[in-house]
Amino acid sequence: MAVRHVTTRARIKTWPAKAARILPLLLARCFSVAALLAAWEILARSGIFTPFQLPPFSAVVLRIWNDGAAGDLWINLALTLYRALAAFAICVLAGVAVGTAMSRSGLARWFFDPIVSVGFPMPKIAFLPVVILWLGVYDLSKITMAVIDAIFPVIAATVIGIQGVERELIWSARNMGASERDLLRQVVLPAALPQIMTGLQVALPLALIVTVVAEMLMGGYGLGGAMMTASRFANSTGVFAGIVEIAALGYALVKAMSLIRRRLLAWHPEAHAPSTV
Amino acid sequence: MAAPAQILLENVSHVYRPVRGREVLALDQVSLQVANREFVALLGPSGCGKSTLLYLIGGFLPVEAGSITVDGKKVTGPGPDRGIVFQHFALFPWKTVRGNILYGLERQGMPKAEREKRAQDFIELVGLHGFEDSYPSQLSGGMKQRTAIARTLAFDPAILLMDEPFGALDAQTRGLMQAELMRIFQRTPKTVIFVTHDVQEAVYLADRVAVMSARPGRIKTIVDTKFDKKAENIFKERVFVEKVDEIWHLVREEAIKAQGRRST
Repeated sequence: MAVRHVTTRARIKTWPAKAARILPLLLARCFSVAALLAAWEILARSGIFTPFQLPPFSAVVLRIWNDGAAGDLWINLALTLYRALAAFAICVLAGVAVGTAMSRSGLARWFFDPIVSVGFPMPKIAFLPVVILWLGVYDLSKITMAVIDAIFPVIAATVIGIQGVERELIWSARNMGASERDLLRQVVLPAALPQIMTGLQVALPLALIVTVVAEMLMGGYGLGGAMMTASRFANSTGVFAGIVEIAALGYALVKAMSLIRRRLLAWHPEAHAPSTV
Repeated sequence: MAAPAQILLENVSHVYRPVRGREVLALDQVSLQVANREFVALLGPSGCGKSTLLYLIGGFLPVEAGSITVDGKKVTGPGPDRGIVFQHFALFPWKTVRGNILYGLERQGMPKAEREKRAQDFIELVGLHGFEDSYPSQLSGGMKQRTAIARTLAFDPAILLMDEPFGALDAQTRGLMQAELMRIFQRTPKTVIFVTHDVQEAVYLADRVAVMSARPGRIKTIVDTKFDKKAENIFKERVFVEKVDEIWHLVREEAIKAQGRRST
């Protein structure tokens, strides 16, 4: 068994070997995206579509570049990112708190269980008119929309994660002198962390999606709002630029989240498995 | 027995109540005395309640009928005087070998330098030198169980409760761990209650073997197994083979009863 241990260590240390394994995967992943973009470019220039229907990818990139140079891109990006991350942060804190309460107290479970059962599957976008009515069309209402959508996976993951904690683990901790208060922070939550992280990995893209949708529907600054503005001015390139920006932002967020997961769960058997892109 | 009982079980019964389905009488009027520094094995067919009995002594389950006293005090909850080792190790997977062993010492409020040294001592004792910073997921089953044993021994409980600690290990590792456990107890003597369904293991390790009946669990017989076990080929010695044979017959009867009941 010592052998297995050593190889695990060696795998972490030898970067060239790791890169050699990942690189083909990386190229394969890039290839499909590159092929899609190339097809876009060719199709747009073929004359089948007007530039209004489908502007070439190169024109879209140029547009993004110009927006970046002018500063508009960064304002919109920062606003969308701020709203999505603020919503996500609220989901993490409130979702884990509610999930924990539901797992530990019958009263909390009795109270929240029906709300979660009804709220999780329903299309929360239906609340949009009410949220606008109550909270206006600025940051607060957009963040609220994202929170009421993205909080449910966090609650559910926390409840499932805590339920799955083995009683032997808790007994061990109590045996070693852990108090009830120690248990939650030192044993229950760390043991449930893999499940909770999975919930967070669902919640983060959801927060971004709903933020962008809310921006599109409410207008104003932000990637979604800018797209709708471009659409109103019949600026097709601007709309496609928005799509590309949102896709890139979503990818970056999901990627960052999985890096955080790997860091936090370095102890988990999954961390020793060969990584993919 | 001459020595006063350290652990005293009197008419302990336990009803298992599943969330769904009917209640099951897991333990029926179990009485047992264990002397200081004695090694008692609880042996019986699976489902006879031997683990439940251990959890009751550990204070993890409430004693609802009868009484359990340790050093004259009634058991009302878990305590560091009774350390437990589980079959599936129950290590904290997010802590390293060292972190796992340190946890109990931290909870006990031991000063940092002292607990670091103590943890290292016990890592050496169970032969895990070089694996201090490994996570449980990086260890083999035998190494995980060594870690669990070190973790429990480190906070120095007077009593050690072991719940089929080698049940999840392959036969070879189990043999090594048994010999190692004997070696460790010679250095740090403990009162031990050891749950197993392996007759050889029970005879090899224990001073007395309590054979339990099929459900509802009762103590059917207690067999004295205290004899010199230092011989090179102890498993082939006549006295050893005879003891194993004697106990094996007792357990077999119960296992057949348990099987019969399950199939009806």
